Amino acid sequence: MIRTIVGLVIVLALSAIVISSVSDYSVPSELIGAGLNYTEQGVDDTGSVNLVTAVVVAYRGLDTLGEVVVLFSASTAVVLILTLIPIGANPTPPSSIVAFTAGILPGAIVLFGIYVITHGHLSPGGGFPGGAVVASAFLLVMLGSNTIPGKTKFLTSIESLAGLTFGLLGFWGMLTLGQFLNNLVLPAGSPGRILSAGIIPLISLAIGAKVASELSGVFASYRKAGGEE
Amino acid sequence: MTAETMFYWSLAATALGLVVIGIWGVLTRKNILRIALAFTLADTGVNLILVWSGFLPNRAAPIIDSSVTTVVDPLPQALVLTSIVIGVAVAALFVVVGVLASRKSGSADVRRMKELRW
Repeated sequence: MIRTIVGLVIVLALSAIVISSVSDYSVPSELIGAGLNYTEQGVDDTGSVNLVTAVVVAYRGLDTLGEVVVLFSASTAVVLILTLIPIGANPTPPSSIVAFTAGILPGAIVLFGIYVITHGHLSPGGGFPGGAVVASAFLLVMLGSNTIPGKTKFLTSIESLAGLTFGLLGFWGMLTLGQFLNNLVLPAGSPGRILSAGIIPLISLAIGAKVASELSGVFASYRKAGGEE
Repeated sequence: MTAETMFYWSLAATALGLVVIGIWGVLTRKNILRIALAFTLADTGVNLILVWSGFLPNRAAPIIDSSVTTVVDPLPQALVLTSIVIGVAVAALFVVVGVLASRKSGSADVRRMKELRW
């Protein structure tokens, strides 16, 4: 009871502060600052039609490298902690609907994921969402099977290779153009084509492979620790 | 108030509502998995606030095309892409630590987890 009242008071106070801070706020009509700059120069600078991808991979590529590192350390921690929990003896068997779906859908899901990864510079998407889509296909296969996944060395090696590719692409820019992760070591091409936008498609592929293998590894270790004790 | 302005402010209200529900859930729920779920809800609300901060009414998504001239701010959307991924990583870690703690105390109830007391 006290817990509910305290929670309610804190939540109401928080919303009052937030609402009072935006009370003199009016609807903006023009872009300002960095957003305006990216919008005007983005396509010329990077060759990417999708400006969000241009910001994520080209302008703020170093931040994305850091983000990949965060994801890597989190997945490592998950796997590490789950080794403290004993491997489950018999995982819960899938229902017939899940088992049937897991036999049909994964191919189409992986295909869609690859489309999202490779068209990151043209349409909404990129390495992170596409990688998550591919990993969801792995999850479906795992939920549809009755067995505990074995060793995940294959996933780990894909993950390491993808991370290494990202770093090496960064150093390529450093060696040739004197700037880490410079996008234009490959020609920008004509915006809107699949082979354009410098190294953005390559980095998207690396990120996609890394995210897909990392999340699949996390799902596999979840599955191992699940089920009966 | 035009339809676009109403949409603008309802977006902000939805975002604030998600954050409030999430924080309330974290403060009052007792099952650790529900706390993790509420945390994810608050996370989603914060992401929506960030996207909203770059939203301009009557403008298209930031994908430049011959037919598109005015777009919304791409920068907050790029930041939110980062934030979503970090959110997934934190949620995965949250659930694992929760499972470990509930195995140790024999229950998912946070009141029984003596290790979390200080």
